[in-house]
Amino acid sequence: MLLPVIRHGKMLTGFLLSCLLAALISCGPGKHDSQMLRIGLMEEPRTTNVWLASDANSRKVLSLIYQPLYTYDPDTLDLAPWLAASMPEYDPATESYTIRLRHAKWSDGTPLTAHDVVFTVDLIRQFQVPRYYAQWQFVEKTVAVDDQTVRFFLSQPRAIFLTKTLVSFIVPKSQWAPIAQQAGSTKKPLVALMNAKIPKPLGSGPYMLEQWRQGAFLHMKKNPHFFGKNLVICNRRLGPHADAILFKMYSTADVAILALKKDAVDFFWWSIQPGYIDGLEKNRNTKIFLSDRSALYYMGFNVRHAPFSDPDFRRAATILIDKDFIIERVLQGYAASMDSIVPSENIFWHAADLPQYGHGLSREERIQMAFRLLSDAGYTWDRPPVNAAGKVVSPSGIILPSGRPMDAFTILTPPADYDPARATCGVIIQEWLKDLGIPASTRPMSFGALLQRIKDRQDFDTFILGYGQLSLDPDYLNNFFHSANDRPGGWNMSGYRNPEFDRLADASVQAMEPARRQELVWEMQRILMADLPYIPLYNPVAIEAVGTQRFEGWEQMIDGIGNIWSICRVKPLAAPM
Amino acid sequence: MQNMTAKQAPRSYKVQRFLDGWSLFYENLIGKIGLYLLILFGLMAIVSYIPPHVDPMYHPMTGVDPDISYASPPSARHWLGTDNIGRDILSQLLTGARVAFLVGITAAFISIVIGTLLGMVAGYGGKILDALLMRLADMVMVMPSLLVILLLSVLFGQLSIWTIVILIALFRWPAVARVIRSQTLTLKQRPFIDMARVAGASHLRILFRHILPNVLPMALLYMTFRITSAIIVEAALSFLGFGDPNTVSWGMMLQWVWKTGHMFQAPYWLLPPGICISLMTLSFYMMGRAMEEVLDPRLRKIRKTDHAAT
Repeated sequence: MLLPVIRHGKMLTGFLLSCLLAALISCGPGKHDSQMLRIGLMEEPRTTNVWLASDANSRKVLSLIYQPLYTYDPDTLDLAPWLAASMPEYDPATESYTIRLRHAKWSDGTPLTAHDVVFTVDLIRQFQVPRYYAQWQFVEKTVAVDDQTVRFFLSQPRAIFLTKTLVSFIVPKSQWAPIAQQAGSTKKPLVALMNAKIPKPLGSGPYMLEQWRQGAFLHMKKNPHFFGKNLVICNRRLGPHADAILFKMYSTADVAILALKKDAVDFFWWSIQPGYIDGLEKNRNTKIFLSDRSALYYMGFNVRHAPFSDPDFRRAATILIDKDFIIERVLQGYAASMDSIVPSENIFWHAADLPQYGHGLSREERIQMAFRLLSDAGYTWDRPPVNAAGKVVSPSGIILPSGRPMDAFTILTPPADYDPARATCGVIIQEWLKDLGIPASTRPMSFGALLQRIKDRQDFDTFILGYGQLSLDPDYLNNFFHSANDRPGGWNMSGYRNPEFDRLADASVQAMEPARRQELVWEMQRILMADLPYIPLYNPVAIEAVGTQRFEGWEQMIDGIGNIWSICRVKPLAAPM
Repeated sequence: MQNMTAKQAPRSYKVQRFLDGWSLFYENLIGKIGLYLLILFGLMAIVSYIPPHVDPMYHPMTGVDPDISYASPPSARHWLGTDNIGRDILSQLLTGARVAFLVGITAAFISIVIGTLLGMVAGYGGKILDALLMRLADMVMVMPSLLVILLLSVLFGQLSIWTIVILIALFRWPAVARVIRSQTLTLKQRPFIDMARVAGASHLRILFRHILPNVLPMALLYMTFRITSAIIVEAALSFLGFGDPNTVSWGMMLQWVWKTGHMFQAPYWLLPPGICISLMTLSFYMMGRAMEEVLDPRLRKIRKTDHAAT
């Protein structure tokens, strides 16, 4: 009697489990068909609110939804019309730019008009949205001439209008106007705007958000109203060709690399460590892309106090740092040496003929050269690093020109967990400085705490940081070194103050003539490389990996293949017969 | 003749007790293996000072092979290969043994000192003092030590190896304190303590002269287990990227191999520190088990009964 009951019980349990499994599968993004592009992300995106998105992963996803008026040509890096139909027309009399728009639509089928552009600019200016406000601050008025034409009136000439302002996103008035209105009526409008939940962002890009199950996946579907479908822009015919995109989150690079090798993902949207290259090259399912980056990794000084306020001390430290060693060993050769704040890959703005401190010298020669420099500047030692016979020896007791012994100081770096290269650089540089008796010790800190200490509290000695994506426009020189930005929370973190530099920076901001601005930017770099508030270290190569079994046609440009051109151009491989 | 007399003279009670304990310990296979492993690691720690004197390129932190700037497999020049910068893995492994001993023994010693003192005071003092100290022990015991140290590291920046050692010690004393307290509770009821009290001995004298020598073997036994947990905590911290960047520990070696993307490319770099962490913690654990049998005759009886039954 009991046996049939148990058998029925087991059958029932099996049936229920099957139902549960089927239900779970049906909730997911569907079968991984050949038309679905699977992209691996390192971490979960934090938000779908474009104004809140400051993390790289949210911005990657949102860059496929919201589109700018202009983007960069992948070959020349010049401005290329995207939502705009042509290049902006400048009217010097009224200090205005007129832009014609393409006949684009939002993903719900409604037209994208000049009114959306006006709304976006007004919203950024009204709420003073961080990240965007600085780029639109000087645009006095935005007018919709007609549905397809928009005119921007500038309060003063600003060089970044063409290179930075016009490449920021446009959002739909229909979705954001009610949110902005509601946020505007609160006590803290900006907070309300940035905290608004946007479960289904309305965009004009090639894909739209279909489903986001946090901790599992993010599923995007092709936007049937994408303006670029079959259009040729910058000699490239756009798709998109994949029906959908599935973002998978991998918390460690090792798992993502395994997934690539096993053909479980088509592209890992993250620059990987050089150590993975060998294994990926041996695998027939994967391909490596090496791309130049517009990045800056550097050592910064707090020039507000001694000994870092002394340019000779900073020059001596620069001489001791062997950048070739760092590049060859720590970065395994996958980086370019930097002798300026502007990367040499940014050909137009990078200044040539800058000093290359200690380049090509041996370790002993570097120590001797730095020793001479500091001795001439009035530094003394209990036991100098170079003895009377000119031989390098172990030093002790370095004394400042003021007669005070040099205090021990720290080199702050992000932790090895965040960036092993920078953490290792900290240890190596600490040892090099000790060769001259300089009492440095490296101290990795969590990135948030590190930035707060350097930028907000200004309580530090030296640090190693980086900018992973420097804009192509060198406006950042102004941000990083103008004395007006030397304030708590300001980007002039080293506290550099030079009236001559400020004058050039102010002139460059207003120089609309590229050749004139280029001269000014070159001169600014010369001053910086003589004063060295930052020591530029390296510009790493972007190392990215894709699967070769399902998709092809990745577009390589500066900063890698993870760009809108690739997303619009990759095609599924023909299915094997 | 005189020599013979010296040899045949009865040994003192303490020496005899030690020798009896030692023979019991040495009879135990687990203890013997643990001891041999420990001697091996001890030798590694001592030998670690030699490579940098052979050639500066064998310095575990700053030495690099001038001809190798990538992770290379074992060779005549580098018996266990090199890491991605060109540093010798064997030198790092030897230095790692030194750091493991330093972290393990120092942290365990501090935690034993704290645990023994508080346990004795709680057990001997009783009443409110006992309740207060034991509630404090309970509170510290339930704290997830690794998580708290990670949080401290995030808040205050990377911790030095000595700060890590002290933090581990501060989180690892409650279990010792509980055991020592229970021992003290039984000891203080014994006649010799009453006699000492009647003879006018102060509380301090009773604690340190009469109770401490009796709880010390138990404290030392617990020290072996504390060493194991201290080594594991330090390795976990370093592996997660929160170790002392100026120290070459086995956990740090694992962190380097992981973060530079060589986890599956360079087994000669990944396996040695992993195996060493396992074996060293195992050796201390084995020694602890064997010492437990020496100190607790009940365990020996059970073992012998079992043997007899089979």
